[in-house]
Amino acid sequence: MIDSPGGVSVGAALAQARANIEARRAEAMAVVEVQIAVLEAVVPPANLEEQAYRLDEAYRAANAVIDAASPFELLDLCSAASGLCDLIDGAPADETYDWRIVTVHARSLRLLQTLPLEEVAARATVLESLRMVAERKLAPKA
Amino acid sequence: MSGVGESLRESAVINLTSATTMVVDDSSFGLDLTCQALRGFGIRTSYTCQSAAEAMEILAEQPIDLLVVDCEMPGVDGYELVRWMRRSAQANALTPAIMTAAHMRRSRITEARDCGANFVVTKPFSAATLLERIVWVARDQRPFLEVGDYFGPDRRIRDQGPPSDERRAAVIRKAAFDAEQAGRAAVENDQ
Repeated sequence: MIDSPGGVSVGAALAQARANIEARRAEAMAVVEVQIAVLEAVVPPANLEEQAYRLDEAYRAANAVIDAASPFELLDLCSAASGLCDLIDGAPADETYDWRIVTVHARSLRLLQTLPLEEVAARATVLESLRMVAERKLAPKA
Repeated sequence: MSGVGESLRESAVINLTSATTMVVDDSSFGLDLTCQALRGFGIRTSYTCQSAAEAMEILAEQPIDLLVVDCEMPGVDGYELVRWMRRSAQANALTPAIMTAAHMRRSRITEARDCGANFVVTKPFSAATLLERIVWVARDQRPFLEVGDYFGPDRRIRDQGPPSDERRAAVIRKAAFDAEQAGRAAVENDQ
């Protein structure tokens, strides 16, 4: 099928796909905004039974940020959201989760969303802080 | 040579206009973005579903040429959908399936490998990556294997590096395409 007569060059196909996606940028930014707000609003769990549900809420919001931001190559947002997903995914279900991890990621995502793209150093500092959080939390326990 | 692993050349010509495609994603925006990318590639999405249940109803009856499905969905997720399609949807047991994931839980990596999907693409991915995977599955000549609980394409592709030689068929098609374009231009000029 792919080799049947007619069709389009790969270059033209990619250019058209990128243009189609670019036309959705404003909508994507609105989705990112909503999902960061959802993440900020996740209530810290009162006990272990509630924890899994709350963590799942936070995981889904971070996932949705990646979904909306990735086609536009907003890699800083994707990296911060993906880091939170890793930290939630790596959390033992039978231990109380350090909720500050969710809070700091929500604040960092908000910061990355509002910081101008030209603020390269500030954006890098935010990501470096998150990287250090991940390193500390995911380090194997002695 | 299977063509799998072949890098995309800007000048290569592809024709996906007649592909019957289904996109499944619980997020309406994610669904739309995938369809927009596919539309750019010349693929008209025939079926869009926001749940696996909706997709199953169609897949049980209608043969399709390509399934693009999100891994994480509430209820029946993408992994279960692909596994079901391989085992229970006779019309689509061999249909190429590309799965997309924003983030893959460690606990699901085995499931991603074992559900029978042709490829799993993790985000962020570019339009080029998605097109490359589609071209790969379109040219994928891996046999389907049934081993224990697994039914899907042969997963032993580790040793197949990206072929660097120009595909002869692609060169011939490109020449034919250029000739066709030149012919059209000549007719337009005559008019």
